[in-house]
Amino acid sequence: MNSTTSAEEDLTAVEQVLGGDAEAFEGIVRRWQGPLINMAWRYCRDRSRAEEMAQEAFIRAWRGLSHWRHESSFSTWLFALAANVYRSELKRFPTETLPLDSAREPSGPASQQRELEEGRRQEAIRRAVLALPLRYREPVILYYFHEMDLAAAAATMSLPEGTMKARLSRARALLRRRFPGLEEEGASHPSRKNKDAARVGHPDFFNDEHAQETGKEAAN
Amino acid sequence: MNLAKTIRSKQNGADAERNAKMEAEIGQILATEEKLIPSSGFMAAVMERVRQEAALPPPIPFPWTWAVLGILLVGGVFGWGAFEIFRLGGFAVSLPTLSSLAIYLPRIPAAFVAPVESAGWVVLALSVSLLCWLFSRRLAGSGGLL
Repeated sequence: MNSTTSAEEDLTAVEQVLGGDAEAFEGIVRRWQGPLINMAWRYCRDRSRAEEMAQEAFIRAWRGLSHWRHESSFSTWLFALAANVYRSELKRFPTETLPLDSAREPSGPASQQRELEEGRRQEAIRRAVLALPLRYREPVILYYFHEMDLAAAAATMSLPEGTMKARLSRARALLRRRFPGLEEEGASHPSRKNKDAARVGHPDFFNDEHAQETGKEAAN
Repeated sequence: MNLAKTIRSKQNGADAERNAKMEAEIGQILATEEKLIPSSGFMAAVMERVRQEAALPPPIPFPWTWAVLGILLVGGVFGWGAFEIFRLGGFAVSLPTLSSLAIYLPRIPAAFVAPVESAGWVVLALSVSLLCWLFSRRLAGSGGLL
């Protein structure tokens, strides 16, 4: 969809809703349900919870529509609001999900084991993002959600781009140090990778590294 | 010496390259997330909640004017009460500022003080009650509850 058209449609829908036409909100939900659910999914990696959180974000948007000051685009405002909702929801009820539905069907018996290993390894890395300290977790989630658009991610978090970049870099370094066997590919160190994957959900997974990184960032 | 330096710098370079490669791979994995498709009932569920919210009466706006008046009134009452406690509790004797203030206060005959003071408190209590009642009626009325 053309972004200008979408912005115009959003603006029209917002004006209609503020004018008392509640049904006009349906257009906003239709356009933004996919992005908001996918964003929530990256925050919790639980499909049903992602839909619940996205629903809550839409309701908050509905209630706060009059607070949108047109200083930023509607999508920026909506994503920032959704990020706030997701952050507070996850603070209230932290998530520990098992990504069972992410396991793919093997394409053939010979490649079955390798594909499973690869899938497990990738999922371990994605889940490791959830175990990052919050100050590094959100930049990673939002940067990749916005398809590596640093400005959009920074706007969603209301952070300067430089800070965002620094946090992303630290987050990547944390992830890299926790997956030292990444480069050597699955076949060489499968046991190491399984061990990493098993440790991801542990609350202390990044604690020691985080202490060092926080010190470094404060020094900068 | 130079050889050691060269080896070290080569090693550092190789490490940096390896790190960049690993971070790129992590980035690639995080960027290639499969997209979720919203479930069929999602939009209906959201709109159902929106309709419910739209059907609710608008929230009662906070009556700041009345709240400020009320706070001032309560502050005045407490202030007066505190002044009376100071005056009757004998603090005026020990505090030079209050005793000097007493020069400017009108002198009331002692026989008048007790009944007038009691009546004053009763009138004040009744006024505060009346104001509270009027305030609550006004709030309820503006919210469409009366």
